[in-house]
Amino acid sequence: MNRFLFISAFCCFTLLFTSVKSQETFPFNGPKNEKHILYAFVNATIFVDYQTKIDGATLLVQNGKVVSVSKNAAPKNALIIESKGKIIYPSFIDAFTNYGMPEVKKGKREDRNQFISTKKGAYNWNQAIKPEINSAELFIADNASAETFRKVGFGAVHTQASDGICRGTGAVVLLSNEKENTLFVSSKSSANYSFDKGSSTQDYPSSLMGSIALLKQTYLDAEWYAKNDKTKETNISLEAFNETQNLPQVFEVKDKYNVLRAAKIAKEFGKSFVFKTAGDEYMAIKEIAETKSSLIVPLNFPEAFDVSDPLDAHNISLEDLKHWENAPFNPYYLHLNKIPFSITSADLKEKKTFLTKLKKAIDCGLPVSEALKALTYFPAKQLGVDNVVGSLKPGMLANFIICNNELGSAKFNVQENWIKGEQFVIEKPEAIDIRGKYDFVIDNNKLVLTIDGESSKPKATFSKDTIKYKSTISIERRLINFTYVVDSKTIRLSGEVLPGDSLLKGTAINESGAQNYWNAKLIESKKTEAKPDSNSTKKEELGTVWFPNMAYGFDTLPTKNNYLIKNTSVWTNEKEGVLSNYDVLIQNGKITKIDKNISALGAEIIDGKEKHLTAGIIDEHSHIAISGGVNEWAQASSAEVSISDVVNPEDINIYRQLAGGVTAAQLLHGSANPVGGQSAIIKLRWGQTPEKMKIEGADGFIKFALGENVKQSGSWGGARFPQSRMGVEQSFYDVFIRAKEYESKKNNALKNKTTFRKDLELETISEILNKKRFITCHSYVQSEINMLMHVADSMKFRVNTFTHILEGYKVADKMKNHGVGASTFSDWWAYKFEVMDAIPYNAALLTQQGVVTAINSDDAEMARRLNQEAAKTVKYGGLTEEEALKTVTLNPAKLLHLDTKIGSIKVGKDADIVLWTNNPLSVYAKAEKTFVDGVCLYDRTKEETIKQKNNIERQRIIQKMIAAKSGGEKTQKPNSKKQQHHYHCDSIEEYYYE
Amino acid sequence: MNKFLFYFILFCAASLSAQKPAPKQSKSILLKGGILHVGNGVKIDNCAVGFKNGIITHVSSIAENKINEKDFDTIINIANQHVYPGFIAPNNILGLQEIEAVRATNDFAETGEMNPNVRSIIAYNAESKIVETVKTNGVLLAQTTPRYGAIAGTSSVVQLDAWNWQDAVVLEDDGVHLNWPSFYTPTKWGMKGPEEFEKNKNYEKSIDELALFFKEATAYCANENSEKNLRFEAMRSVINGSKNLYIRANEVKEITEGIRFAQEQKIKKIVLVGGKYSYLCTSILKENNIPVMIGRVHDLPERADDDIDLPFKLPYLLAKENILFCLQNEGDMEAMNARNLPFLAGTAVAFGLPYEQGVSAISLNAAKILGIDKKHGSVEIGKSATLFVSNGDALDMKSNQLTFAFIDGRKIDLKNFQQKLYEKYQDKYKQQNN
Repeated sequence: MNRFLFISAFCCFTLLFTSVKSQETFPFNGPKNEKHILYAFVNATIFVDYQTKIDGATLLVQNGKVVSVSKNAAPKNALIIESKGKIIYPSFIDAFTNYGMPEVKKGKREDRNQFISTKKGAYNWNQAIKPEINSAELFIADNASAETFRKVGFGAVHTQASDGICRGTGAVVLLSNEKENTLFVSSKSSANYSFDKGSSTQDYPSSLMGSIALLKQTYLDAEWYAKNDKTKETNISLEAFNETQNLPQVFEVKDKYNVLRAAKIAKEFGKSFVFKTAGDEYMAIKEIAETKSSLIVPLNFPEAFDVSDPLDAHNISLEDLKHWENAPFNPYYLHLNKIPFSITSADLKEKKTFLTKLKKAIDCGLPVSEALKALTYFPAKQLGVDNVVGSLKPGMLANFIICNNELGSAKFNVQENWIKGEQFVIEKPEAIDIRGKYDFVIDNNKLVLTIDGESSKPKATFSKDTIKYKSTISIERRLINFTYVVDSKTIRLSGEVLPGDSLLKGTAINESGAQNYWNAKLIESKKTEAKPDSNSTKKEELGTVWFPNMAYGFDTLPTKNNYLIKNTSVWTNEKEGVLSNYDVLIQNGKITKIDKNISALGAEIIDGKEKHLTAGIIDEHSHIAISGGVNEWAQASSAEVSISDVVNPEDINIYRQLAGGVTAAQLLHGSANPVGGQSAIIKLRWGQTPEKMKIEGADGFIKFALGENVKQSGSWGGARFPQSRMGVEQSFYDVFIRAKEYESKKNNALKNKTTFRKDLELETISEILNKKRFITCHSYVQSEINMLMHVADSMKFRVNTFTHILEGYKVADKMKNHGVGASTFSDWWAYKFEVMDAIPYNAALLTQQGVVTAINSDDAEMARRLNQEAAKTVKYGGLTEEEALKTVTLNPAKLLHLDTKIGSIKVGKDADIVLWTNNPLSVYAKAEKTFVDGVCLYDRTKEETIKQKNNIERQRIIQKMIAAKSGGEKTQKPNSKKQQHHYHCDSIEEYYYE
Repeated sequence: MNKFLFYFILFCAASLSAQKPAPKQSKSILLKGGILHVGNGVKIDNCAVGFKNGIITHVSSIAENKINEKDFDTIINIANQHVYPGFIAPNNILGLQEIEAVRATNDFAETGEMNPNVRSIIAYNAESKIVETVKTNGVLLAQTTPRYGAIAGTSSVVQLDAWNWQDAVVLEDDGVHLNWPSFYTPTKWGMKGPEEFEKNKNYEKSIDELALFFKEATAYCANENSEKNLRFEAMRSVINGSKNLYIRANEVKEITEGIRFAQEQKIKKIVLVGGKYSYLCTSILKENNIPVMIGRVHDLPERADDDIDLPFKLPYLLAKENILFCLQNEGDMEAMNARNLPFLAGTAVAFGLPYEQGVSAISLNAAKILGIDKKHGSVEIGKSATLFVSNGDALDMKSNQLTFAFIDGRKIDLKNFQQKLYEKYQDKYKQQNN
């Protein structure tokens, strides 16, 4: 039975011609050696599939396929393999690997800027879109790698070249050591995707939102291409894209929220993805369940940290600690939420730890049957090969593993792995255990022989009465050899272990060369009894998941409550001005009453005496809470990308800013190109998921930019147009003229029912022309401000807001005529040449000239003190305190077209309000309570309790980690720390990219 | 045209300050009726402050002492206004940088690691446009400080109303700035800078290099050498204990090792700069009388788990332990941001620091640490008449409105080019409306 291994050990070349799986089309050297042996594994416990277990069963295998599993006796012509006490499972299937794929190497860039793909031929313009890649063609079997999979029970894997956004097709292959031709279960089993541009050296996309836009545009391009006249453009990539749409669509993500992001794209284009996830799904489990996607889940549970040095442990965030505790429960959470999934060995540092991690997942509540399903039937189902592998039904491939213990037991491991009827011995049968005490007889001389130590490395001692002789032992299979020394003379013995393992017998040569016979009879066995399987009953304690799962997260999400704030100074931002000693009632997330002496049953009363109540601060220009980059800088226009696709609700700055009274923010694209991306307008709903952060029904905005950044003034400059303010103007004319042409083409096509290519960039620009999307434009010097207003007037659109607008004070008259608002810094200047005429009186002067003016942050640090920044307009230019407060509340609400909902304290408006300890414009004011939609998301009076809660949780997990370490778990050094940055869109570093 | 040359010319044209430094005090002045924040923790309501020839000659409570008004040439009634000592902005590249993004205007860092001999004072641009905007908010003195490298160079203390750098000097070459090696180095760069860090593998090597340099310098300074070594020579007054060694460190382990290092090198005057986590190792600071120049109060906490208000609270946390500290604002755009120094103190007050200590944190404490407290830092008899009057609370942005400011008794011009631009464009709109 070991024949195959035996041969392969000698020569791979020979293997090609002697393998039982010789290939039909290949010539054969010598007499044909086809065998059709019927193997019968008898008396085994066999799992025909994950839910059908037959005890005392017989598995018949012939020609690499399952003949049957039954309780019937084996036919006479079968080669019988006694399997009593063995458990046979279908071999595992890994639905996400790069097995046999070439290594992905990032190419070298030739130029500073690379605008189109360097791939030669009629392929896609973007190097990250390569659906034409056929993994079956790239596949080269690699036995060393296959062995690592086989050892932990895998028989087949789905393999694909994990490179790019559209990665081409994957294949399902077997893990045996054969010529590739016989290894395929399916040569085109999937089409593969990700948001990662991989080895592409092209500039575009440079951000996550760029990847998202590119994928969307590819769907549109492919749709157009299918109907297009191919003489116009031939695109092999798009052809391949269209041809592979009916395959399972596998999407690799590195973050839970990317599941939601990609699922949204799938919904938009009527697709359905199977997600290879990152193992953190439990943190957004409900939302992921709602996508109704199936998942391929890794068991990449993080190692515990070595927390023995408390100063070093300071580097570990509660987020890391909580993930360490929760990650092993991820499969359990998926099961609990009825999310269908398979389990992959991907993302493990060492494949050999797979079974330990699997056991951990089972200890953490994943039912054994679910684990088995996730490793056999379900991955096969996901890849459409469940009629070939994943179960042991007649006619299916004979891929199975033989084990001594059942899955879920601590002692579960794979002894043999059979792939397409080929045996791979993973664990040799244990060496015989001869430990014990023996009566040793040689030449009528009686000694005592004691064999102890480890069964695989025994130690021998010959003794008489109390005298111990110096002795050695070696054992090879059943052949045995001893020496012992009496009076400095060495006696040498060789012999064998007789069947039954209780008698040793052989010959001895003494110091003079004389031969004698000896035997040793076992009188007392020292074989250790197998310990009961105690670990299998050990259940791990479930940790808690916070929202978000980090310091300052909520353990349960706070809900809307009715509040009555009594006897306070209400800064209404309305004609009533500041009302002293008033009450404000909020119910169901809205402001319902502003009056004196309100009484409201059931409302929680908050004493506002000597405090101040204002509308929540709105930051018109923010870059917090964004995943995967703020700039899609590679092209002069990136109107197709949107920050709303990449909102990150886990940024601690959200919480910190709530503590500064901020309740809403516009998250803007950066300022690297003239036409930037679309923005997201959010409320700071700490604890919610990305979609729920966004303000429902808010108008769409887009970032434009002028000046030094877009012309790439720093050393980062390259070839990308524009390089001067002259070019900036042309960039705008170009997109708007193209958008107008596009619109008329589109209208014609709709009228004549002909095809046209939907272009996401120009769709966005058309929205501006149709007053459905509004511009916030980064700007500094007066010439460029006037330029854009001139372009706008001539192209018949309006600029909604100039942001930064530091020389706005010079052109306030023209701005007023154009009807544009301003969102500026209170006092920033001197950071680059174009801000040398910036003055802190800007906001005041603009306000005095009737321009709606806001003070913004563009900086995560300043954002939590925007009330102080607003106060500077009192100092510089003498705005009244009420006017000053409006620059961070009502005015930004106006600029964002949200002033009917937020920005002032008025009956009917959203209860986004802040209770301050002091005059809100004073440096001494602190936000005491911050409400968003009537939910109290920050409460300074509870801050100590919250910090204590963080600390208790932290210490609890640290103690658990210390226990894990002393329990022998591998730990990692807490050497790294993560840093929170404060960015603003002018940071020169912003242009650096990975 | 060459890009840099182009910027340089623009810079020259753009950066000349329009303000004229004030002449020497010729007539004696009495400020009468204000609320005096002495700078040493004491507040005097309804006070009288008089000065002659640049020196404060009179400080008293009007209620308690009668003033002979005839002793003064000019009497200025400042009822209900506040008097403060001129605020001091330590550890700032003020005057060494005009436009952050224009390299030609940056003069705060030299190439190489060990540069104690480079002196910020000679690069200090007394006519920087930034400097005039800083004075307007009450910051009248600064420590103009070099950056980068292991030993960045030697700083000096200047007053902000001067014709040239010689004229600006308050204390020339006050100390040497050591950037203690960072315990962590970036391993992952995001779009906007480092995101993830790892233990610095060169940490020990960097310390070894510093130790060698200090030992060699110590040996060198034991004698007057005929063959001069500029670098070692610049260490002489630090080694002999007459000048400060500023050690910039933030993490607890960095702070501990940095201080112990300096002690091993027998450095007597040690100042900790930054000290983000200094509240966790106050005992070493207390036991060794090490003062702290606290990093920018208006900053984000370093770690997501930190107390969200930690930078705001740090001054209070050190004050509670009776550690001498002052505020500084090293960081992004620090030169232009020097004018916000009073508001850093304001925020510290909001988060627990008693008000008068907030004033001290940017006046007398800074003067003590810099070694200029005999003449500066508080409004006391015998000290330089470097002080200002504000219409309201100067630590609060909404009421910081200077009416008068004096440096060495000279009544300085507070109107900066930004106010002039404001007025110019107000006029533009007035013209249009006429």
